[in-house]
Amino acid sequence: MTEESVRNRVYAIKTTAKQERTVVDNIIKALEDHDEINVVAVMAPDELKGYVLVESPDPIARIEQLREMVPNARSVVKGETSFHEVEHFLEPKPVVSGIDEGTIVELIAGPFKGEKAIVKRVDTSKEEITVELYESMVPIPITVRGDNVRVIDKMPEE
Amino acid sequence: MAPRNKKSLKVCRACHHVVEGESCMTCGSTNLSEDWAGYLYIVDPKNSEIAKKMNIDMPGRYALKVR
Ligand SMILES: [Zn+2]
Repeated sequence: MTEESVRNRVYAIKTTAKQERTVVDNIIKALEDHDEINVVAVMAPDELKGYVLVESPDPIARIEQLREMVPNARSVVKGETSFHEVEHFLEPKPVVSGIDEGTIVELIAGPFKGEKAIVKRVDTSKEEITVELYESMVPIPITVRGDNVRVIDKMPEE
Repeated sequence: MAPRNKKSLKVCRACHHVVEGESCMTCGSTNLSEDWAGYLYIVDPKNSEIAKKMNIDMPGRYALKVR
C-alpha cells in the first residue's frame, strides 16, 4: 500500500459531555480486537466539545460498527469531513519555528545528544538547521533536523 | 492503558508525547509541560494525514497543543 493510494476521511463521533478523551482511549482499546477496522488516528480537540474526530480510510459503516463498541460514543455524524477542515485544530510540534541564527540549542537526539550548540543557519524548506557545538574547540558545523534540538536561549519576542 | 488521573499528565515540549514520569521515553527530553490542550492518539503514523501535519512518526498519545 503506497501512501498515495490512501484517501482518508475524517469522521466526527458525538460523545457524552466531558468524556471526549476517555472515548479516544476507548476507541483505541476497541480497535485492538478489531483488525478489520482501519483507524489511523483519533483526536479530541478542546475547542470541539462533545465530539471526537476519527481519521480512517474506511466507509462510515465501519465507523458506525466501531462506535457501537465504545461506551459514551453516541453517534457518528452523517457525512465525512475532509482533512482540510480539521487541519486548524493541529499545531505541529515545533520544527524550525522559533529558531534563528544565534539561537542557543541543545541537541536532543543523535551522537551529540546533550551537547549545546549555536545555530548558524536555518533551512526552513528542508526543516534543517546547521549548528556549531558550543563547547567544542574546533567549530565543526553539523546539520540536524529541526526537531532534534531544543531551544535553550532565544530572542524575547513571544 | 487509559490514564486514571489526566490532570497530572505532562507533555513533552519537544515531541508532544504524553509523558508519565519525569522524562520523555521517546526523545529523552525533560522539558515537560502541564499546560497542554487537545488529545491525539496516533495509531498508524505512516498512513495518517494528521500525523504528517503534526510531524509525528511514532504511534502513541500526544497533545495537539503545548505551551
Ligand atoms: Zn519527547
